[in-house]
Order: sequence, then structure tokens, then C-alpha cells
Amino acid sequence: MRLFRRAPSLHVGDQPDCHEVAEVLQSYLDGELAGTDADRVADHLAHCARCDIEAATVQQVIDAIQRQRPTIDDAALDRLTGVVDALEQLDQPRRPSS
Amino acid sequence: MSADEGSPITHRPVSTERGRDRRFREQVLVELPVLLRVARRLTRDTVDAEDLVQDTLVRAYRAFDRFDGRHPRAWLLTILRNTHRNELRKRRPDLMDDEVAGRLPARDGGGRVDGVPDAALHDDLDPIVRRALAGLSAKHRAVIALVDIDGLTYKEAARMLEVPVGTVMSRLHRARAKVRADLEAHGIQGVRR
Repeated sequence: MRLFRRAPSLHVGDQPDCHEVAEVLQSYLDGELAGTDADRVADHLAHCARCDIEAATVQQVIDAIQRQRPTIDDAALDRLTGVVDALEQLDQPRRPSS
Repeated sequence: MSADEGSPITHRPVSTERGRDRRFREQVLVELPVLLRVARRLTRDTVDAEDLVQDTLVRAYRAFDRFDGRHPRAWLLTILRNTHRNELRKRRPDLMDDEVAGRLPARDGGGRVDGVPDAALHDDLDPIVRRALAGLSAKHRAVIALVDIDGLTYKEAARMLEVPVGTVMSRLHRARAKVRADLEAHGIQGVRR
């Protein structure tokens, strides 16, 4: 079975049907669909209860997976920000005095 | 060792240096959470992860003059991946899928995910989701890890895994379908609005 072997996009012209929306739904929900195509999918979902339910279900699965995302240690972020500060400081002696 | 040893940045006007530092800061700091998440997945250790990001920042700073300014996250992830790979080559064969999948629970990996305490998990779905993720193949867990957990785009994940974007998309589709099937097998149906 072929799934998304090409970059996702909709056919130009007519409004997408349910099959076309199903093919790009994942990209739409992941924010990977280009602006006009995303608008057309959104418009289809607003008028098609079946596709809208499917989209909401897939989104629910994505949300459940994303809740497994580990928290980031603020102290680690602070230390790494400090690394950036230090890199800039290390460059200071090379700069000519004004 | 002098402060400027090993750095390519010399004899640049102060204003140029300041502008460079400002751009570096603007483009890098915002990506630190993603870099840290990916580094933790690659190294499987919080201390090693922080060291890896630190090495990445140093390399990025030194290479910043050659960066075209487009897609800073992809640029930084490439440096991070290469830095990690160089380190890994010293120790063991390179197995990217296994590396990237590392921070998600494997079938024998227990119930916790990256040290997140159970109290931090949001609802009753999560144990089922974790079991479903544990049941995925390493390739499928890897793409879930990069896209859903680390927040990478398809293109960024493809670059990390060194596979085409279409492969990322199809693996992601199948992996999510498996998680969905597991959720539905536990009686959790699609939402009704």
C-alpha cells in the first residue's frame, strides 16, 4: 500500500473530497500542509462531519502520544544559556578596544 | 591556552561581532529545548545530553559565519547529530533508529518515559499509550520520538534518520495507527462532537 510517498498536496481546482482529505489529514494535523491546502482541508472539515470526527480522533491520538513528552530541566537550559554567554565572552579579548 | 585559540573569528569590527553574537543568540537559544530533548534521546543520559548540546553550541558558534541563516533548527540538529555520531563511532557501531528510539519505552523497558514521574502524566490514557509505544518497532518508535515527542518537522526527522520525508510520513502514519488501534482495543473510541 502506498502512503504519502510524495510531498502532500491537494489537486488544484475543485474542493477536495473525503478521500483526498484523508490522504493529507496527517500532514494537515501536523502543520505540514501548505497554506492554501490547509485552508481547503479546514473548509472541508467544517462541512463534513465524518472527516471532522476522523480528524478529531487522530488529533486525540497525537495528543495522547505528545503527553509522553519529557519535561525539560530549567536548570539545564540555564546552564546551556550560560554556555552561549561564555562563548561570547571568550571572543571579547580578540575584539579591539574602542 | 589563550582565549582565542582554536576560534576562526579574528580581526572583525566590534559592531560586526556584536551583530553576529546577537543573531547567534536569537537563533540558538530558542532551539535549546529541542536540542536537549533530542540529545537526551540520543545519549540516554541527562548529563551526557547536556554535554552533547554544549559541544554542539561550541561547534555551532565557530561555524556560524558559514551558516546561511535559514532553518537554524535543522542546522543545529545536523551539528548535534554529527557531534554525537563522531563520539559514538569511538564506542560502537552506528544504529540510528535504535539510538533515536532509545528514550521511548521498549517492550522490556518498563513503564516510565525519560524519568517523567507518573504524577506528571495527565490521564488514564497514558499507561495504554506507553504500552502501545513500547510495542512499536524501533523504526516506528524513532519517528514518533522525533516528530511527536521532540517536535521536529517531517524534514528535520528525515534528516536525523537519513531517510526520505515520505518514509517518515508513512512510518508515522503506521505508528500512530498502531497506537490508535491499541487505544480502541481498550475501549477508547473516536471522539464525538
